[in-house]
Amino acid sequence: MICCKECLELLHDYLEGTLKLETSASLEEHFEDCPPCIAFVNTYKSTSHLCKTTLSSTEIPEIVKERLKEFVEKNKSG
Amino acid sequence: MGFSEPKEAKAEEEQLVKDLQAGKTESFERLATLFQKKIYALSFNLTRNAMDSEDVTQEVLLTLFKKIHTFQGKSAFSSWVYRITLNATYMKLRSRKKDQSISIEELLPSFNGSGFQQEKIQDWSENTESLLFDNETRETIQKAVDLLPDKEKVVFLLRDVEGLSTEKVSEILELTIPAVKSRLHRARLFLRKKLANYFEEYKVRKETK
Repeated sequence: MICCKECLELLHDYLEGTLKLETSASLEEHFEDCPPCIAFVNTYKSTSHLCKTTLSSTEIPEIVKERLKEFVEKNKSG
Repeated sequence: MGFSEPKEAKAEEEQLVKDLQAGKTESFERLATLFQKKIYALSFNLTRNAMDSEDVTQEVLLTLFKKIHTFQGKSAFSSWVYRITLNATYMKLRSRKKDQSISIEELLPSFNGSGFQQEKIQDWSENTESLLFDNETRETIQKAVDLLPDKEKVVFLLRDVEGLSTEKVSEILELTIPAVKSRLHRARLFLRKKLANYFEEYKVRKETK
């Protein structure tokens, strides 16, 4: 049987769906009997989601937008 | 939507680039509008400094305008823009940086001799959504990403935050696909551990209140 270490090493490819079917199946077989790995997989997925939600909300402040617009105007004609 | 993949957006982008290369300066304005948010956001996530990100955005826009003739179309235009953005951002960081990243190895999972996980893993994934609106949580997430070593950080930002494909990230950073995957995986492991420390402590704090 495949161990936690091997499972976690393959986690990226497992979630991408790029593993061979049988490898994927042996990971799932391991997960069935391993609550710590299930918790690990769930929190690993959550991590990407939480970071994306937090960091992708970066917006350019309005005042900076204004300045960028002026900057573009100026350089376009210069 | 300068970095989105739909065909029309890509066709518009290609046309704008051609126009600008042919000396039609009006297309500069449109290209700037299409790309400035992505440039600013990536730079901000790397520097966490509004002034630096504004400088970088200006520099990158100016480079696009002045150096557009050097873009040969060998890679996607957006990859070129990302590369210029990263170079400009790293130049900024170099001038003021004290390296505060920590070793990634310390935060990788630990296993016993038979390859089983050694630490107790809690599943906090269900309870985090509502915490995203909490400033402390957002700050913790930002700080955790700030602590990632540069190599892993840039892959994580492009792949997981910007949502670019593995292939595109490998093109931008001139890395092999396996290298992109491995850096992304290490970044996620590092961040997972950082966030686990926070959410587990958060739970204890809440329970003892």
